[in-house]
Amino acid sequence: MKKLVTLLMVTVLASIAAKTVLAADTLAEVKKKGVLVAGVKDSLPPFGYVDEKTRTIVGYDIDFIRAIAKKLGVRVELKPVTSASRMPQLEGGHIDIIAATMTKNPERAKQIDFSHTYFLTGQKFITRKGAVKSLKDLEGKRIGTAKGSTSEQNVKKAIPSATVLSFDDYPQALLALEQGKVQAVTTDESILIGILDKAPNKSSFEIPSIRISDEPYGLGMRKGDKHFVDFVNKTLLEMEKSGEAARIFNKWFGPYHLQRTFKITADK
Amino acid sequence: MLKYHFDWSVVTSGKYFEWLVSGFKVTLQLSALSIVLAFLLGLLIAVMRMSNNRPVRWFAHAYLEFFRNTPLLVQIFFWYFGSYKILPTVVNDWLNNSNFEFAAAVIALTIYTSAFIAEDIRSGVLAIPKEQMEAARSAGFSYIRSMQYIILPQAVRLTVPPLVNQFLNLAKNSSLAMTIGVMELTYQARQVESYTFKGFEAFTAATVVYVAISFFITALVNIYNEKVLNIHKAA
Repeated sequence: MKKLVTLLMVTVLASIAAKTVLAADTLAEVKKKGVLVAGVKDSLPPFGYVDEKTRTIVGYDIDFIRAIAKKLGVRVELKPVTSASRMPQLEGGHIDIIAATMTKNPERAKQIDFSHTYFLTGQKFITRKGAVKSLKDLEGKRIGTAKGSTSEQNVKKAIPSATVLSFDDYPQALLALEQGKVQAVTTDESILIGILDKAPNKSSFEIPSIRISDEPYGLGMRKGDKHFVDFVNKTLLEMEKSGEAARIFNKWFGPYHLQRTFKITADK
Repeated sequence: MLKYHFDWSVVTSGKYFEWLVSGFKVTLQLSALSIVLAFLLGLLIAVMRMSNNRPVRWFAHAYLEFFRNTPLLVQIFFWYFGSYKILPTVVNDWLNNSNFEFAAAVIALTIYTSAFIAEDIRSGVLAIPKEQMEAARSAGFSYIRSMQYIILPQAVRLTVPPLVNQFLNLAKNSSLAMTIGVMELTYQARQVESYTFKGFEAFTAATVVYVAISFFITALVNIYNEKVLNIHKAA
């Protein structure tokens, strides 16, 4: 057994070493190859989803990536990622930047670098209409969410007595809610309104005003990639100043009647 | 620069180790229960498939084709989400309040694997010369009794190696149960990864455990072969 473990480790180490050569300075690298490869969500309106008419991925996250690429003077290549795969994809050098509704937190910051917060939301719940008035109503209940997300961890902290079931994706979690397999679906409000909007019988559900966390979203870049991080942060601040950031927000969240309660500022 | 710091402590002690252990237990329960049920059901379907009664034979045939030719993942979703549409509300409510995730996974794994086991057993039975059945029948045994006392004991012996494959497949396939929220080994490994970002460590640990489970099943069958069936490995 020990031999086997060693063999596995060697294989894994070798594959990591092979990629270590890549991109120490993404900014220079991206300019040279003339393309910015971004990891984005492709089924999460309004952040990143496939537009039915144009068959391309569009959304809030995508507009930020396009603005950064425009400033760099390079093309954009969008690569769909999942919550669980996005960090390994970045670390493995398959993508240059993550723009995929990713919450900034200290554990993640140990592995990758984050830009300034470009979107701020909080974790809420979708429940049957009138079923949940306060957090107490969810105690001991079964709550659905999706894998590899911070939502799972937050809800366990907020309601320790609840059973949290992780599904592969949010539409499945919503199906479980419809069928009474869970009593609530939880994740960031911004994502919930997108899911609820697409639900076939949305009138029987609601998002009660219970907020269990702050979720600041950041663009993810490789650890220690200083030039690139500085460039992205500078671009974000300029977009805030010129009003472009607010325009992008209104373009994607105006239809959902969501107010912009934050401004992009230099943090830390 | 790209660096990865290995930290094996996350999978060898503390909270995350406990998660993996609890996942291991669920995987064991899921696999053991499904293996026993799938073997019994597979045996039944194999006998039905070879029955002289045409409707029974056709039913078994349809069962085999249907469950052998659809992906396991689809079947898991079918039993978990799809059954909602066909069952009465009372039953649904009762299921939703019990551990239906686990039950749905057992049902899907059992039915899926039983189809393969049935075919393995059938090929074992077909390898027994048909004169044996004729002899048994002329000695006064009914069809069922001939199967029970004469044919199946010999057929199962021939079927042991392919059966081991099905058991191993089942143990590994049980990882798909995580898609409906069964907190088995793969689910917990992913959980550890999403909390610690130590994916390599978590999945290496899970891999080692799966290999151990497979070795264990193979060893059990080898003991059965030697002690009960007196088949020597070389044979």
